Amino acid sequence: MTVSPEPFLRARGLSKRYGHVIALDSVDIDVYEGEILALVGDNGAGKSTLIKILSGVHQPDKGDIVVADQATRLGNPHRARELGIATVYQNLALVDLRDVAANLYLGREPLRWRWFVDKRAMAKGAREIIAGLKVNLPSVSTLVGQLSGGQRQSIAIGRATAQNGRVIIMDEPTAALGVKESRKVLDLILHLKAAGKGVVIVSHNMRQVFSIADRIEVLRHGRNVGVRRRGETTPDEIVKLIVGIDSV
Amino acid sequence: MSEAINSPQSRTDYGDGVLGAALSRGDLADDAPVAPRRSRLYRLLANRDAAIAAAGVLLFILFPLTTKTFLTEFNLTNMVRNVSLIGTVAVGMTFLLIVGEIDLSVGSVLGFLVILFGVFDDRLGLGPWLAALLVIPIGVTTGVLNGLIRVLLNIPSFIVTLAMLTAYRSLALIISHERPISVAGEGAFFWLTGGAILGIPWLIIWMLAAMIVGSIVLRSTRYGFHAYATGGNPEAARDSGINIGRVKMIAFAFTGGLCGLAATLLFGYLHVAEPTSGTGFEFRVIGAVIIGGTALTGGFGTILGTLIGTLIIAIITSGMVLLGYSQGATDLSTGFLIVAVGIVDLLMQRAAMPSRFS
Repeated sequence: MTVSPEPFLRARGLSKRYGHVIALDSVDIDVYEGEILALVGDNGAGKSTLIKILSGVHQPDKGDIVVADQATRLGNPHRARELGIATVYQNLALVDLRDVAANLYLGREPLRWRWFVDKRAMAKGAREIIAGLKVNLPSVSTLVGQLSGGQRQSIAIGRATAQNGRVIIMDEPTAALGVKESRKVLDLILHLKAAGKGVVIVSHNMRQVFSIADRIEVLRHGRNVGVRRRGETTPDEIVKLIVGIDSV
Repeated sequence: MSEAINSPQSRTDYGDGVLGAALSRGDLADDAPVAPRRSRLYRLLANRDAAIAAAGVLLFILFPLTTKTFLTEFNLTNMVRNVSLIGTVAVGMTFLLIVGEIDLSVGSVLGFLVILFGVFDDRLGLGPWLAALLVIPIGVTTGVLNGLIRVLLNIPSFIVTLAMLTAYRSLALIISHERPISVAGEGAFFWLTGGAILGIPWLIIWMLAAMIVGSIVLRSTRYGFHAYATGGNPEAARDSGINIGRVKMIAFAFTGGLCGLAATLLFGYLHVAEPTSGTGFEFRVIGAVIIGGTALTGGFGTILGTLIGTLIIAIITSGMVLLGYSQGATDLSTGFLIVAVGIVDLLMQRAAMPSRFS
């Protein structure tokens, strides 16, 4: 696996408070293309706040963000997507009563004659996106609400990558899925990595983290308490970092 | 957690091996294509237009059994002409329900606009063409006003348009001094609205034109795609960069414009503007759309369904009248039909929807 030497996304000293609550306290994070970074931590550790900042939903009170060697502000999700950071939220943001193609092109439908959707180009593009995902879907004209949980997750991920996503942030992508479906989504994530995408995955499932992540970043009480390479750590150590037991 | 901690140590072959193993198992492609419980609902949704059409045909067969004049050509034409204004405005109402909104003021707006038409045409002596040219944009403005209050102040459209229902009816009464305005009604304008060509009333042609335009917009334009997305999942639509406020505004404005068209057609047909015109109209319009299968919850519906819903109302109205019942009895049966459609919808959802929807 070739990992680019410079991180595509680099954040330093990110801090965020909500009233009296310090959600993030000077957190650093590096995301490389072609690498899977797992973000772990207990509830309230700051994982959600961190990914919301990286996806442009929230603004940090302090801290610097560098994307592709350019210092930048991720002022809103649209801007983050433009810069190549796409996020797959837990709710997936799919329209169940619309078909696969319409969902993959939601908000950026290919047009002809100015106002009309080029349905043929859209169906063709949708088939290509799905072929690139290596997942099995009935047809791009199937309503998304008809699909299984794993297939829906795949559509959401496919949309993120198709929107020029170089880094894909995923919030608990397998939380609502059964064992078999989870495995397929994990395979898809590994496939994205092989295709050179950077992946940030938030997960509570230690087995899952150790099965796919290249690096593991642990948050506790809004602080960064450790970054480990998978081969150089154990689930025991990570759990101890998460719960805050320093001595073994 | 303990299971999660222990298991990775007992298995050494994690990491990229998972992909290899999964690939070699060859089970990446064995997705059950569709979750069975959910597919039943979507099959029903897909067959909904067919089911509604079947209901219409059934009514069409039942009524002639009770009366001899039902199927005469004159009555059929009359039947559809009588609901053509309902069908015209129902196109806009379909847009509104799809984007997750509703307009209860269409009947009062129709009454207000037809009075304005009478004032422009007769009292101000502008003539019918200029009156139409003024009344349709004013209709659009009433829609824009509803939309602005809904979108900018974030007040539910139910409340906004309920208030407007009263406001425009009062305006119509005030402007007209509670007296009808009538004209002789001669010339090309009155032929093009109230007349007929080759035996087909222009009212029906105008309704079909509105439906064809509406159908093309919903099925094939970017606006149509965004309308379904806005009603189906507003958060997802907004996250995808769709301006859902604008989408809703356009649906309100379109409905208002169609009220202007309906007012023009009504005046052209009757040659008289009455301040009470359009009383109860909103009920029949919304009824046609709902009977036509458009979801009150947004994100689903077709103009074809609305056409069928309009025709079902036409059949009920004509049938009831021929059986000697009043408009009141017709509205009563339309009401029952709406409740029946609502119950069937609910049962379908209960039967087929996963907990995600409930």
